[in-house]
Amino acid sequence: MSQVNDELLDHEYDGIREYDNPLPRWWLGIFVISVVFSVIYVPYYHFMGGPHQEDEYAAEMAAAAASAPKVEKLDEAALQKIAADPTRIQAGKALYDKHCVACHTADGGGLVGPNLTDKFWIHGGSLTDIVHTITEGVPEKGMISWKTQLSAEEIRSVAAFVNTLRGTTPANPKAPEGEPYEG
Amino acid sequence: MKVEEFQYDDKIVRKFVVATVVWGVVGMLVGLIIAFQLVVHQLNFDLPFLTFGRLRPLHTNAVIFAFVGNGIFAGVYYSTQRLLKARMFNDGLSKFHFWGWQAIIVSAAVTLPLGITTSKEYAELEWPIDIAIAVVWVVFAINFFGTLVKRRERHLYVAIWFYIASIVAVALLHIVNSLALPVSILKSYSIYAGIQDALVQWWYGHNAVAFFLTTPYLGLMYYFMPKAAQRPVYSYRLSVVHFWSLVFLYMWAGPHHLLYTSLPQWAQTLGTTFSIMLIAPSWGGMINGLLTLRGAWDKLRTDPVLKFMVAAITFYGMSTFEGPMMSLKSVNALSHYTNWTIAHVHAGALGWNGFLTFGMLYWLVPRLWGAKQLHSTKMATTHFWLGLVGIGMYVLSMWAAGIAEGLMWKEFDADGRLVYATWADTLPTLNPMYWVRGLGGTLYFVGVIMMVVNLWKTAKSGTPVDQTDAAAPLPEPAGAGAGGLHRLLEGKPLTFTVLTTVAVAAGGAFEIIPSLLIDSNVPTIAAVKPYTPLELEGRDIYISEGCYNCHSQHVRPFRGETERYGPYSKAGEFVYDHPFQFGSRRIGPDLHRVGGKYPDGWHYRHMIDPRDTSEGSVMPSYPWLADDPLDLSMTQAKVKAMTVFNVPYSDADVANAVENAKAQAAAIGKRLEDQKLPNAQDKKIVALIAYLQRLGTDIRAEGAQ
Repeated sequence: MSQVNDELLDHEYDGIREYDNPLPRWWLGIFVISVVFSVIYVPYYHFMGGPHQEDEYAAEMAAAAASAPKVEKLDEAALQKIAADPTRIQAGKALYDKHCVACHTADGGGLVGPNLTDKFWIHGGSLTDIVHTITEGVPEKGMISWKTQLSAEEIRSVAAFVNTLRGTTPANPKAPEGEPYEG
Repeated sequence: MKVEEFQYDDKIVRKFVVATVVWGVVGMLVGLIIAFQLVVHQLNFDLPFLTFGRLRPLHTNAVIFAFVGNGIFAGVYYSTQRLLKARMFNDGLSKFHFWGWQAIIVSAAVTLPLGITTSKEYAELEWPIDIAIAVVWVVFAINFFGTLVKRRERHLYVAIWFYIASIVAVALLHIVNSLALPVSILKSYSIYAGIQDALVQWWYGHNAVAFFLTTPYLGLMYYFMPKAAQRPVYSYRLSVVHFWSLVFLYMWAGPHHLLYTSLPQWAQTLGTTFSIMLIAPSWGGMINGLLTLRGAWDKLRTDPVLKFMVAAITFYGMSTFEGPMMSLKSVNALSHYTNWTIAHVHAGALGWNGFLTFGMLYWLVPRLWGAKQLHSTKMATTHFWLGLVGIGMYVLSMWAAGIAEGLMWKEFDADGRLVYATWADTLPTLNPMYWVRGLGGTLYFVGVIMMVVNLWKTAKSGTPVDQTDAAAPLPEPAGAGAGGLHRLLEGKPLTFTVLTTVAVAAGGAFEIIPSLLIDSNVPTIAAVKPYTPLELEGRDIYISEGCYNCHSQHVRPFRGETERYGPYSKAGEFVYDHPFQFGSRRIGPDLHRVGGKYPDGWHYRHMIDPRDTSEGSVMPSYPWLADDPLDLSMTQAKVKAMTVFNVPYSDADVANAVENAKAQAAAIGKRLEDQKLPNAQDKKIVALIAYLQRLGTDIRAEGAQ
């Protein structure tokens, strides 16, 4: 602010006077830089192929896909083996109690979601089918996809626990829905 | 030279001062309540009119239009008369303005808690009140410009420039944004839909900040700061340059509220670039305010008025730097929908508007009530420090909370899972910060109460001043005195006002008109169909309960959002949304893709008690939705109103609206029964469920085709 001259202008308003100091140089500098920024910004994004938000999104998703862990697909027999492992069932129960009881109830009798204890299954009763239903969900019926919340191993544990509910007698069972499955 | 004698009307200023203080206390108290509701959901008391969704608009409207509004009018009525050496144009208009404005505030305080709202933020009031606002504003304008006409000061001081810009711009913003089609005395639909409604709304919302919270207060600053400091304004030239650049550039920046949405890219670019270009014009005001104190910094130690004003101007400078930074897309990707925005606006509202008002009040009250001095300088100084610490706690905690939220929403683990998969997972991190915010707000509020006591005792110690005698010669003939072109312009209020109007109108016109007229801005999606009559009713319940205050309806194109919610939102999905429901804050999760995500029964239980389905939720319970009868008496009129906007309902759709609504309600009732819940087919809740289940689902049908 070396150029401050503090020359008073000749007018006054209700006792308020004004100096005629020049614009501070640093202030003018900020103004010029902000205008230059804008003058570059517009052509970069609109005429020189700067990435639009859809491009940025595609890149973000591609990067995520590239770094995603490979999930080995297990056949029914391998899933059966997991379903027989008490520690996996235990882990599955903990997850079930946290995420599933709101719709399927603690004993699997069903409420908003279907009964899991009878032999009727809407989307298939094999372990492969159950894992698939949990993983992908059934959006049109209100079953959400759990793959962004649970890992593949966790989903298998949940399926292992659900498997133990078959044939149990819940306190307040919901009527059967779907096709019978005889595993 | 002939000297005229006349009186300034100080009684009207006193009235506005009292209203400022009273509404300030009310608005801030409501703010405190809703701050604590976010950590203690029981504070919603399961009562409709006390829920966060209904009280939050009351808080924002009370603080902006009642507290700051009356503060503006107090300062404008006091300073304008003195700067123009003339009594206000007409005492009757002054009184009409005062009582009209208070009546509007009272009607807002009644209707908003009752759920009567348009849901457009800071423009929530329904159409009859909107018309009243327009009328009162025009009366204010006539009174103000009438005073300009009969002024005894030829040239207009910079404060008056800012008043002119504010009066013109607020009228323009209010009228364009409030255009709506009434369906009843207390219900209307915005004439704009979806992304266009969003653009108009945030052009309004951003510029309400500009021309209600900023430019009038810059005018007040230009009067009260040099008066209190008894020093000349730093630079007249800076005033000229920053005034014109500010009023021209501000109007273009609205789209920065819609970055990464489905708003066309060109409009987003304007939002970003004009925000960056606003830094210098804003700081021009800060420089002129702060440097006015050169040579008088020592007064800061003893004078609470100057303390408040200097801190206010500093907060202004900080907020007007932070705002443009948040308009950069990379920053906005993190900050949008978070508490960072809350921190930003409160640095402005508590720091700039609040502190400048307090400074002005401490300066005005002794003068207006004929007191020798302020009752207690010490108390005012304590108020200052309490307020400053309060703002510090508020802003720092909400910055931290905002950044933490933004990061948590985007965090994935190595398996590609969301680390904070359920919404409640993020709350333990935020809760301590909410407590700090609430404590900061409490300190600020205690300071305000101290001010009330101090001002009350000051007023009691004097004799109220109704008018002040003044004398002035008639203005010199035009063209007298030296000066350049701008000096000449300052002697021509009409030309000045016309040029200001052009500068102000340019940005909005350039952005809004093409977006309304050029179809390519909203690519159509064939699968997107109008809402059913029941869904329309449910949407009105959603609006009435103020759901948009906590839930956005716009998924942005980020992995953290599409993995959590579903495919990102497209402009074509919102073409039947009168008004749009994008929201601006995620206190709860986004709802644009909630349709079909959960069964009907889940929604029923969630509404009765959110904790039942979502452990740790802070959402209020809405038990009355399952008790209140579903009112279909307006349904047909609502569907018919939509046809005025060319929403493609057939004549049969209109004729059978109620029948169709009942059939859909019965189907939902049946499903609830199947899910072992009460069949609520004749209750409000089924309409809301119908609406929620429809949200964001049309596009799936397109994917299936």
